[in-house]
Amino acid sequence: MDVWFVISNTIVLACIYGTLAIGVSITWSSLGFLNLAYGFIFAFSGYGAWLFAQHVSTFGPAVLACGILSGALGGVFVCALAFIPIHDKPNFTIRGLIATLAINLIGTQSLLWWFGPRSKNLPEIFGTWKLSFSGVTLTADRVGNVITSVLMLLLVLRWMRSSRRGLEIRAMMMNPHAASIVGIGVRRTSFYVMAITGALAGLAAVLLSQTYYISPFGGLTPMIKAVSIALCGGLGSVQGAVIAAVVLGLNEALTTVSIGGRYVLITQFLMIILILLVRPRGIAGILDRAREA
Amino acid sequence: MTELSSIQRTWRNPLFVWDGSQEAEKLPTPTFVSHQEIWEATRASRAKLLPVGRLRYYHKWAGHGQNLWRRSRYFPTRRRVLRIRGEYNKKSLRREKTIIDKRPIWWVMGLVALALVPLLTPASLENTLLTAGVTFGIYAAINLCWMLVIGTASIFSLATYAIVGTAAFVTAYSSTMFGLPWWLLPPLGALVGVIFGGIIALPATRLDGFYYALLTLGLNELCRVYFVTSREFGSATGGLYGAATYIPQDWSSSGQLQLAYYACFAVMLLALLLYRFVNGRRLGRILRMAPEKREAFAEATGVNFRQARVRVFLISSVGLGFIGGFYSANYGGVAFSIFSFDTVLLGLAMLVIGGIGRSEGAVLGTLIVVFFDKVLITLGPARLIIIGLIMLFVVLYLRNGLFGIKQQFRSWRDKKKSERRSTRAEKGGEMLPEEATEARNVDDLYRRRYDKMQREFLKTLVKPEVIEEHRRAPQGQHSEALERLLIYFRNQPQPDKYAITALQSINGFRIVALSGHRGVAPRVVEDKIYRSPAEAYHGVFLRRVQDLLES
Repeated sequence: MDVWFVISNTIVLACIYGTLAIGVSITWSSLGFLNLAYGFIFAFSGYGAWLFAQHVSTFGPAVLACGILSGALGGVFVCALAFIPIHDKPNFTIRGLIATLAINLIGTQSLLWWFGPRSKNLPEIFGTWKLSFSGVTLTADRVGNVITSVLMLLLVLRWMRSSRRGLEIRAMMMNPHAASIVGIGVRRTSFYVMAITGALAGLAAVLLSQTYYISPFGGLTPMIKAVSIALCGGLGSVQGAVIAAVVLGLNEALTTVSIGGRYVLITQFLMIILILLVRPRGIAGILDRAREA
Repeated sequence: MTELSSIQRTWRNPLFVWDGSQEAEKLPTPTFVSHQEIWEATRASRAKLLPVGRLRYYHKWAGHGQNLWRRSRYFPTRRRVLRIRGEYNKKSLRREKTIIDKRPIWWVMGLVALALVPLLTPASLENTLLTAGVTFGIYAAINLCWMLVIGTASIFSLATYAIVGTAAFVTAYSSTMFGLPWWLLPPLGALVGVIFGGIIALPATRLDGFYYALLTLGLNELCRVYFVTSREFGSATGGLYGAATYIPQDWSSSGQLQLAYYACFAVMLLALLLYRFVNGRRLGRILRMAPEKREAFAEATGVNFRQARVRVFLISSVGLGFIGGFYSANYGGVAFSIFSFDTVLLGLAMLVIGGIGRSEGAVLGTLIVVFFDKVLITLGPARLIIIGLIMLFVVLYLRNGLFGIKQQFRSWRDKKKSERRSTRAEKGGEMLPEEATEARNVDDLYRRRYDKMQREFLKTLVKPEVIEEHRRAPQGQHSEALERLLIYFRNQPQPDKYAITALQSINGFRIVALSGHRGVAPRVVEDKIYRSPAEAYHGVFLRRVQDLLES
């Protein structure tokens, strides 16, 4: 069935983009920092996983773990380079945004320089089996993608809910000033946050590389989709990001079926603009409690 | 100490010859200490005097001419050509002039240099330099319009190249399809720009800051995907070419390049004019009233900043569309790379390196980035990395780009100055500079300062010989050092001044401190009871000396 195929495809993409969007959302709400070097982290972890698969082993979970680890490393790197030096300087939000864009430029060009423009592909992480029932065929990578991303998200959210560090991050999300008053170090917490969100990006990179390829600029589209989903859901809200991912995934599925794949981005942005015109802080963002700076 | 005792002086009592019964003829006394030394030490400035950088330097030009410069203005505006102040030099009594704002001079010099570039380039470099110059002109014009949006209207829009690219594609398409002449392309582009700008200005009224930045980033990507995939805009050839161009095909290639260079230069001048007319006049004034985070205040004073922002946005969209039309008339078409994320990043790098909110920042940033990107083309991908590193450096260390360095340096220097001043301030009865400004009676400041110096001096007089002399005879004629101490102690104000009470019941004496208020009894200072008035006097003296040394 065509519709089933599209819907399953959308669910897969929504899972991956949702993973990225939640990363963007957490970073913004806890640090007040908009990480637009996400595309670079994405490509960086893809290349990390690729190098591991080339030189060490092609065992699926190991490659996945390597991608996640290199994503976390990229996140820590961006944090040390762009967040730590200027987080207490005047005009931080704009300067942080521009600094991450600069890191994105440097990083992607370095990757291009080092690895060349030819895109790489990763081995099949989840094997090549198929699952079919009542006319729907689910390939291994789809099922694996959905399960892994949901699992990872649940893990991260569980960690944020129950651990001491998660409590610190949630306190920072609620009220950064009060958090710093009660002794939660902004710098230390920022490293946790950036490592976690970088790991989410790394996971998404490896999962997405099952469908697409790894290239220096391949992180751009996922980043823009993630940012727009986070924007639409309300920056700083995990539930909002999930809802927005589902809504935009549905929109993508319907557009592809009814008008054609070319118009997906157009309808998507019309939808986002409509949502933002009605609720300027996104689906879940409440006007007054949004983070100001 | 040994040295002091070796040169000990003696004091001869002048009253000894009259009444020799109780007085000693000679007594040891400390060496003379000049109070002038304390005075000079206090008055001396301990601030390090550096030869440069403490005052702003202005060159003084000779002669009259203030009124002459005031009379002449730029034609369509009421702006004066140069801000020049005339004054008399008080020392030489000659008339002199000061140029207060030198920026117009720098602008003229820079623009003249840019205009002379094609005439001065060596033939071997002409191709590279003039091609880069053409890019520079167009990108500088785009960045000036973008600077209006980001700096003046403070709408953080990243969809600038989307507007330019759309206008360029639409005009190139209509030129190839309907055969429009080249001079119709810029106006058509302006029309496209105002329509497109109007559509994307709609969310700008509701969204603030980052939400809008992210949205426009997405819009840029949307345009890229749309134009790359659409067949009529040449998805197969990587761009749309074949539009009408103003460059005559029968000219030599160097002549064509020079014509293109000057045309782009003229477009940049037009953009500068637009910048000046928007930023320097009513709209710019209104928006300077409503900077970020102070919009509520501006609104309360009756400034309709939203409308002004949207107006600036639309005006710059018209400008961007015009430049887009010119772009396709200049290159005879347009490539998809204008929508690419790297183009946006490079454009942002140009703005950031120069400094956001200044036209000179936009032009200089463009010059730097275009130099690295187009002139040093042999470096390959490394040149973009260099640009990224410059951008990162500027963002991390400079508050507002290269043109903000001056102000940042000044504020840093002021901070350092005030830090040093606070380390210099001394306590001890004197007021701190911060308190001194709020003192009611300025005499008080001087009295305290004098008192402090006096105490510093008197402390040097307290020596064992002096105390011994006082113990021998609390009253009567004393040596100079002791006399100075006693006079100072006697002149202190009444509150908390030590006194002696005679206890009639046990025929003893005790030290008390006066309250200073009529009707309030003195308080007892210590329990010790002295047998004679002389002992009590000496006890008071010791207490006062102790207080002096502790102060």
